Amino acid sequence: MTALSSEAAPPPGRTFLSKVADLRAWLFLVILVIFFETWAQTVYGVTFVGNTYNLQSIGIFATAPLLLALGQTFVIISAGIDLSVGFTMGLAAVVSAHMANLGASHLGLPPFLSMLLGIVSGVAVAFVPGLVNGWLIARLRVPPFIGTLGMYGIARGAAYLIAGGMTVPVSNAWFAWIGNGRIAGVPILVIIAAVVVLIMHYMLSQTRFGQHTYAFGASRVAAVRSGINVGKLTMRIYLLAAVCAGLAGALYSGRFAAGAAQAGEPLLLSSIAAVVIGGASLFGGSGNIAGTVAGALVIAVIEYGLVFINVEPFWQFIAVGVVIIISVLVDQSQRKLLGGRVDE
Amino acid sequence: MIQRRSFLGLMGAATAAAGTGSLVLPAAAENKKHTIALVPGLTTDAFYITMHRGADAAAEALGQDLLFQGASEWNVTLQVPVLDAVIARKPDAILIAPTDKVQLVEPLKKANDAGITVVCVDTFIGNGVFQTGAGDADFPISYVASDNVLGGVMAARALAQSIGEKGKVYVSNVKPGVSTTDQREEGFKQEMANHPDIEVLETQFNDDDANKAAAQVQAVIGRVPDLAGVFGANLFSASGTANGVKQAGKQGEVKIAAFDAPQSVVQELKDGTFEIVIAQHPAEIGYFGVVAAYAHLTGNPVPTHIGTGFTVMTKDNIDDPNVSKYLYTG
Amino acid sequence: MSEPLLSIRGVSKYFGGVHALEDVSMDLKAGEVVALAGDNGAGKSTLIKAVSGVYKADRGEIRLDGTPISFESPQQARDRGIETIYQDLALADNLSIGANIFLGREPKRRAFGFLPVLDRALMADAAQETMRRLDFHVDRLEAPVSAFSGGQRQAVAIGRAIYWNAKVLIMDEPTAALGVPEQRKVLALVMALKEQGKGVIFISHNLGDIFAVADRIVVLRRGIKAGERVPAETTSDEIVRLMVGG
Repeated sequence: MTALSSEAAPPPGRTFLSKVADLRAWLFLVILVIFFETWAQTVYGVTFVGNTYNLQSIGIFATAPLLLALGQTFVIISAGIDLSVGFTMGLAAVVSAHMANLGASHLGLPPFLSMLLGIVSGVAVAFVPGLVNGWLIARLRVPPFIGTLGMYGIARGAAYLIAGGMTVPVSNAWFAWIGNGRIAGVPILVIIAAVVVLIMHYMLSQTRFGQHTYAFGASRVAAVRSGINVGKLTMRIYLLAAVCAGLAGALYSGRFAAGAAQAGEPLLLSSIAAVVIGGASLFGGSGNIAGTVAGALVIAVIEYGLVFINVEPFWQFIAVGVVIIISVLVDQSQRKLLGGRVDE
Repeated sequence: MIQRRSFLGLMGAATAAAGTGSLVLPAAAENKKHTIALVPGLTTDAFYITMHRGADAAAEALGQDLLFQGASEWNVTLQVPVLDAVIARKPDAILIAPTDKVQLVEPLKKANDAGITVVCVDTFIGNGVFQTGAGDADFPISYVASDNVLGGVMAARALAQSIGEKGKVYVSNVKPGVSTTDQREEGFKQEMANHPDIEVLETQFNDDDANKAAAQVQAVIGRVPDLAGVFGANLFSASGTANGVKQAGKQGEVKIAAFDAPQSVVQELKDGTFEIVIAQHPAEIGYFGVVAAYAHLTGNPVPTHIGTGFTVMTKDNIDDPNVSKYLYTG
Repeated sequence: MSEPLLSIRGVSKYFGGVHALEDVSMDLKAGEVVALAGDNGAGKSTLIKAVSGVYKADRGEIRLDGTPISFESPQQARDRGIETIYQDLALADNLSIGANIFLGREPKRRAFGFLPVLDRALMADAAQETMRRLDFHVDRLEAPVSAFSGGQRQAVAIGRAIYWNAKVLIMDEPTAALGVPEQRKVLALVMALKEQGKGVIFISHNLGDIFAVADRIVVLRRGIKAGERVPAETTSDEIVRLMVGG
């Protein structure tokens, strides 16, 4: 029997390089923080990162785009894209505001239960676009870009219709507390985001669902031949993205004391950018939650930091664009050098 | 011969205010029914819904037909096809809130070439100065809008007063290049120049994202802890800024002047979220737009610019029906 | 003479009026490699799809270990020990060898005594053990399979099949996309499978490969079995004549 020799082992050093490449979003983050800290110290004689207030502000700022990006991470790893999450968030924001109001006015619920009703309704209504996206993509084999673009329009229309062309004010102390309160100095929004991050990390790295999402993104054929029910998998992926958007929408209503149909629209591109900066490839098969968290923080730190150090606002767009391009270039050169990525 | 109706008094007053002479309304006796189309910047916004109501009222009073067609989003590439479809129906006049100063010139020229009277409402094409014989965007017969520079001036005056005529302020704006919000900022800065103890900081652009507007005010407060006030040049700028101020624990210390007045501002004025709200009069814009188109169609001269007014709302006057009637309704 | 592992008797398959397979019979014993030869459209892939559960035969009978089988899906065939290794391998390139072996049936363990998580250690151990059985040594078990060469990836695909105790392996053009050295390694793998008592159906266009590994050669032409030969008693010329007819 001829030995298939141990040259099978990949070149040494690969692990170190790929680990560095996987952590590049965190590396960006550290560089950015050093940059802003130096600038703030030099020009204003104040600290940027040593200031709890700044950390809280950035945390709150990053929450909504991060929630969208977490669901989007699964979608992008599966080689898809979900363009509808922004308006799914808006739809959820409007519905949760309406339902929280309704709970108090028509059902006579106490504020805490009205808030719960609002949040649950917001998340629940997000099931509709999520399932429809999944159905279009999985069963009718509509390309994700087209299917979710259609849903983008539908969710938007529905959100505006339900809102009646206005924002929907909601007056509920508990809801406002969820959106604006703090526990031991940590904004509740940040606590919620952290819990969702842990759940998403678990789902992606430790469950069959996560593992199959990676496999499906790399090779649909491999997934099908391995007996994975790719239709069901696709439904679940888009449902998850929508549920994350639904939660973001409900929290928006609490925070701003009003649901707005256009609440999530400006966040769509940020959420995709966060996933890409975090190391995912739009061709599918790679990405991870820790990277996405770093990606969302990179964007938030750039946008907050540039205002903090009083730089001309237009630099924000340029800076985010540059980071995205660097990120993609790093990814491509890594693929060339190393021929692939590890599975978590 | 000329049969004046009761609303013409109002009309005269408005045109006099705009300093452009009289607007003579012809006889309803001519009795020809014109079709006037209103193409808003977006159909889903309370501002334009209220404008539509005003236009409807005028059309009904004049016995004209009104079409209302638009895109659900503020977007040139969505508005142009709607406009083309409206032109294809050959109305006698089109009232439009163009979503871009430049890109709507050619599409509207098609309407003008087809003999359709064009009136700009709320926003404009070219430089907003019409019927001068100069340039290629002067063909609309009139521009009917809030005087946004004046709106900015009014916001500045009210904000200056509420911060005690001293301190640092800035404008939270949507994005550069939108005629109306640019003019509000211009008016605000112009007026603030007359208040020597008030310093106007760099404008922050938020892309109509409340989340970003909130983060920006938090960052500014981080650097400038004695920030005294912010002018939110549109609704999301103002509500996002208000939330950021709340998150920073500065509610009441940093005063916010908001622009535009949906119903929800009543509560926000009362709970101190906003100190000041500048309400436009969108129903008047729609009303005067229809009247101007009708006047032109019936062979009467029309002023090339009609400016509509503002109402400054505070928690002290918001319960006054003469003030609260200017809240926008969907 | 022992009972054949796989016995195909009089199998026919029609697509509309086209006879893709007509009354084909063949046997496969444990520890035997049977090569399927034939020109394009001769019915090779229809035959293996009938065995692997993609198609149902319209007539005839297939027995596995003496029991008649009729699969509704490839998954059922796989559950009974019939694995197909396609030319394109269908590996998830971004996953490790272990993750590919277990794709679709990942093992779990409980972290902290309650939280079900993927058992990566078990997957890595199984990967190492399986690769060792194929004389294929890897020490970078968490590396994605895209990091490996074509022959090595072929070994991963085969390893996946044998880990799940496949009795019958159907290999569709396993050497087609490979360079010469890699082709040799794959042929060595086929011999290794034979030694382990697997039955292998080996499809190839390359007569050199066929003569190197096959115990018997079944030639198909236009859906009909044109002949069956033992390599020692035939020549390439004869096989080609059977393939093209005349």
